[in-house]
Amino acid sequence: MDVLTNVNRVLDEVLSLGGRGLAFDHGTPLLGAIPELDSMAVVSLITTLEERFGIGIGDDEVDGQTFATVGTLVALVESKLAD
Amino acid sequence: MHAPPFEVFFVPAHGGQRLYIHHAPAGSPRGLVLHLPAFAEEMNKSRRMVAQTSRALAAVGFAVLQVDLFGCGDSAGDLGDASWADWTEDIGSAAAWLRTRHNSDAPVPLWLWAHRAGALLAGDALTQLAGPANLLLWQPLLQGRSVVQQMLRLKAAAHWQQGDGKAVIDRARADLAAGAAVEVAGYLLTPALVNAFEQAALKPSGIAGDGRQLVWLETSGDGGEISPAAQAQLPRWQQAGWRTDARAVAGPGFWQTVEIEDAPALVAATVQAMERAAVDAGDAQPAPVAAAGAGALS
Repeated sequence: MDVLTNVNRVLDEVLSLGGRGLAFDHGTPLLGAIPELDSMAVVSLITTLEERFGIGIGDDEVDGQTFATVGTLVALVESKLAD
Repeated sequence: MHAPPFEVFFVPAHGGQRLYIHHAPAGSPRGLVLHLPAFAEEMNKSRRMVAQTSRALAAVGFAVLQVDLFGCGDSAGDLGDASWADWTEDIGSAAAWLRTRHNSDAPVPLWLWAHRAGALLAGDALTQLAGPANLLLWQPLLQGRSVVQQMLRLKAAAHWQQGDGKAVIDRARADLAAGAAVEVAGYLLTPALVNAFEQAALKPSGIAGDGRQLVWLETSGDGGEISPAAQAQLPRWQQAGWRTDARAVAGPGFWQTVEIEDAPALVAATVQAMERAAVDAGDAQPAPVAAAGAGALS
């Protein structure tokens, strides 16, 4: 499973980016760079990532860095997949 | 083809009025559909899809009723005033209204159309309603604790950047345990309601199927297989005597997307599944002539 591609799909869908998210790479900045990414969207993203990847993300596993870039988000998902 | 009419009105109830939205079919209904909505912001974001689907179901002969539960949407009360018992009572009243409005006791089947957290209310409804009901589930949440988790995450989300998100959640849970209500994004969560959610679940135990129908629909990015959770649950429903029809369609998670989105494949799949179920049940009434293109998806 290509985690980056699937994370991008989730970003594109939840943030209603209309396809722009599909071209993101690991270095693409998220929090602060995408106006659609507010608190509510962050929660929706976490929930959708959990459902799509079949993972559970703990309350203490999300911090200021998690949504810094697409790459940091991919890293969290990959670490949960490896659990 | 013009759309069947719909009515928006208030009915008096405990604590004040409830908003009802009723889509009537042309002629006698082949089934009665009562929508059990998603919770809080998920409900708000889903209004459009629920309206579109209500219209589509009415166009093929179903009577569809939506009700804003006590403390929710445009009905009376604030969330902080609402109890689980209020909600199950509202559902019972709405089901009775539908039966009376269409002058039908059995054999016109009643469907509980539950979306997300609405599925948690369906379990109680099935045991408390006067007659049997079928289930139409959209992306059901099976465990109420995930509603609580999501609300508390929302409270913590603004704090995640500073790294004290977990502390906010822990404090909120401690406050609730101590009997204090917690505010999240304008919604007041009382300990009683949180406890009710924590204990709520949708499962087939104790609900005899007797050949009733369970339609389970999900949207995911590009459709494909039904979720692992659904795959695990469906055999249990079958063993309890339910006839199941489950599928995933391509479409956005419209209940939580930043913009209000449509999922036309879900509307189409819902109509098709309901028509299939009516045929399976030996629907004696001839179906209305379908509009061109309706039911073309297989």
